[in-house]
Amino acid sequence: MSWVSPLSARYASPAMQALWGERRRIGLWRRLWLALMQAQKDLGVGIPDAAVNQLRSHLDDADLEKAAEYERRLRHDVMAHIHHLGDQAPAARPFIHLGATSAYVTDNADLVLMREAMQLLLGRIGAVLVAMGKVARRYRALPCLAYTHFQPAQLTTVGKRTTLWMQDLALDAEELLNRIATLRFRGVKGTTGTQASFLELFDGDHAKVAELDSRVSRAMRFDHVLPITGQTYTRKLDGQVLAVLSGVAQSAAKFATDLRLLQHEGELLEPFESEQVGSSAMPYKRNPMRAERMTSLARFVIELEGNAWHTAAAQWLERTLDDSANRRLVIPEAFLAADAILVLATNVAAGLEVREATIAQHVAKAMPYLATERLLMRGVKAGGDRQQLHEVIRTQSLEGSEGLLDRLARAPEFKRLAVRASAEELDPAAYVGRAPQQVDDFLDRVLPDLMRSIQAAAPAAAAAEVEV
Amino acid sequence: MTGGVLVQSTLPLPLVRRGKVREVYAVDDATLLLVASDRVSAFDVVMREAVPHKGAVLTQLSAFWFARLKSVMPHHLLTADADEIVARVPTLAPHRDELHGRAMLTRRATPVPFECVVRGYISGSAWAEYQQSGTLAGEPMPAGLVEGAQLDPPIFSPATKAEQGHDENVTFDHLVQGLGRLTAERLRGASLALYEAGRDYAAQRGIIIADTKFEFGTTSDRDLIVIDEILTPDSSRFWPADRYQAGRGQPSFDKQPLRDYLADLKKQGTWNGEAPPPPLPADVVHATSERYRDAYRRITGTELE
Repeated sequence: MSWVSPLSARYASPAMQALWGERRRIGLWRRLWLALMQAQKDLGVGIPDAAVNQLRSHLDDADLEKAAEYERRLRHDVMAHIHHLGDQAPAARPFIHLGATSAYVTDNADLVLMREAMQLLLGRIGAVLVAMGKVARRYRALPCLAYTHFQPAQLTTVGKRTTLWMQDLALDAEELLNRIATLRFRGVKGTTGTQASFLELFDGDHAKVAELDSRVSRAMRFDHVLPITGQTYTRKLDGQVLAVLSGVAQSAAKFATDLRLLQHEGELLEPFESEQVGSSAMPYKRNPMRAERMTSLARFVIELEGNAWHTAAAQWLERTLDDSANRRLVIPEAFLAADAILVLATNVAAGLEVREATIAQHVAKAMPYLATERLLMRGVKAGGDRQQLHEVIRTQSLEGSEGLLDRLARAPEFKRLAVRASAEELDPAAYVGRAPQQVDDFLDRVLPDLMRSIQAAAPAAAAAEVEV
Repeated sequence: MTGGVLVQSTLPLPLVRRGKVREVYAVDDATLLLVASDRVSAFDVVMREAVPHKGAVLTQLSAFWFARLKSVMPHHLLTADADEIVARVPTLAPHRDELHGRAMLTRRATPVPFECVVRGYISGSAWAEYQQSGTLAGEPMPAGLVEGAQLDPPIFSPATKAEQGHDENVTFDHLVQGLGRLTAERLRGASLALYEAGRDYAAQRGIIIADTKFEFGTTSDRDLIVIDEILTPDSSRFWPADRYQAGRGQPSFDKQPLRDYLADLKKQGTWNGEAPPPPLPADVVHATSERYRDAYRRITGTELE
């Protein structure tokens, strides 16, 4: 068997694959040709009803094999499809693509696809946020060790840590919402972006050319049209879109990496199927393979972003074709991989295994250290010397946490002050600060508005996976 | 072992409220005492006979869940240990045995005037609403659900607290209007999280918690806490997991012996389904008591002490 992209074979969802598939793209080209022909006719170009009607009845029945035959002869994909469509809709043949250049269908279709793909990803982020929100809510006040430098620091809660991941994804969702709302259409601009061919078609009537541009854009459901283009829309747009995808990948990779660290600690585990094999050689192993795959794919998406910026930077004057092959790879693959990452993130977040007993053990081991801070404060209040007490705690701590508080109580410096740890000072809940309240605020004050925006902007298929 | 059967408590404290099953007393401005009796109701009628150990099961099961779910939501329980209660409220010393197992000393909170119901399976009044209008809590539901079907994700369906008769279901928007969006979101989030945590835990122990009702209160420092009882057979529908079968009414884990007996009487025409209740044979009372204790045993993994 010949090469198949792992993104298609293993990772990306059927919905995202269908979106970037050839059939969907050609369906869009035909809709763009229909929108152009309809608007031209309505603005006075002598196009018969039969032309429009025949084109309208062949939107989704392109024979990709027949189009490929044309392409082998013509060496031009857009012309191949114009000929094939002309065969299917002979009355339309003389008027298809009138005044347009290839970028009219290729660029505008890419913009439609990128917008839909962003909506799909937005719905997926919504699903991850719902799944993570449940974890945050359930463990909002469960104390766990916080780490700085990956060394045990003070306490936080499992729920609070979950909101670190959620907030990153929420920021990505806001970026996506903004990109979706402001994405501009290329519209009807002609070979160098001057609309010269259309001005000729309408005998110098500038108003009609402008109207054609906005009618076609509206027909393709775009509120905003780029006022200025070369032959293509500025490739800066691709960079902006891929930057958002890279952001999603970064957030997911941070979540996945944290999970890998915590799975090593035995505190938080990704879901494990009952028949799953961890290692072919070591049957007892349980590896965080989903999280590892997320980081692996995320690296790919993050690096793809650079392609788009380079393409934007490398365009000469009104256009060069060195964008084409790169975009053909980079744009769909960035979306397919980002999609795969978010499907994994949803799966992992929804099945997270929180090992409360292990977390409590780790907290208990650290508690004596944590209690020393309060002991130090109370010692100073009772008349002790801060520097002296600090040194006692430091030297005693070097011998480990076991029995630390008893050793400190016996140390003359503390004994003299009659200062020793109380039971309340060993209650982990007293060390989590406002963590539970921050979780509540985030879940109840910040998130609901965002989730409503996501539901409104994501298409029904993706929204169905989001439960607000 | 708990003390004898208690139909109704009478303690030397001001009575705040006498419910179908429990009495609430004021200890001071900040503290309440809740005493669960062994009274039992079925078909909305309170039986004359009490079910031994039932009050203790409700109280100790609530205490178990409060401790287990405290990282989800703070709660009102101070202690459910009779000796600690008596130590804090010395006037109760002569009643120590009567309180044993069944009493909870709690923080006093202003109750939120809504019941927070979560449904993980469609049953009871929700099934009736769905059959009639295809909705649940006023929200449209997918077509083709059968009685007892699991709802995934579970549905939050708040209700007003009726002084008499049945609580009335209200929409989430109604809750938002009554309490403000922030509190409404918080109640919904907490209710779903508490239910799902309880559902998952009970499922591993052979009990389906089909739906449940939470009550919340606001403390003097304006914190929301969960109050009353939680995830007990009386505030929830408990179904035996091994007999679950979607597409029909489910047997009740706890009250089935009682319901079967009363349904028989209704069928024979010897009881009209309204108060006064018929007398219950000892074996029916005993079987019901056993079911309550079995629920406690399964969920907590320990015998009722």
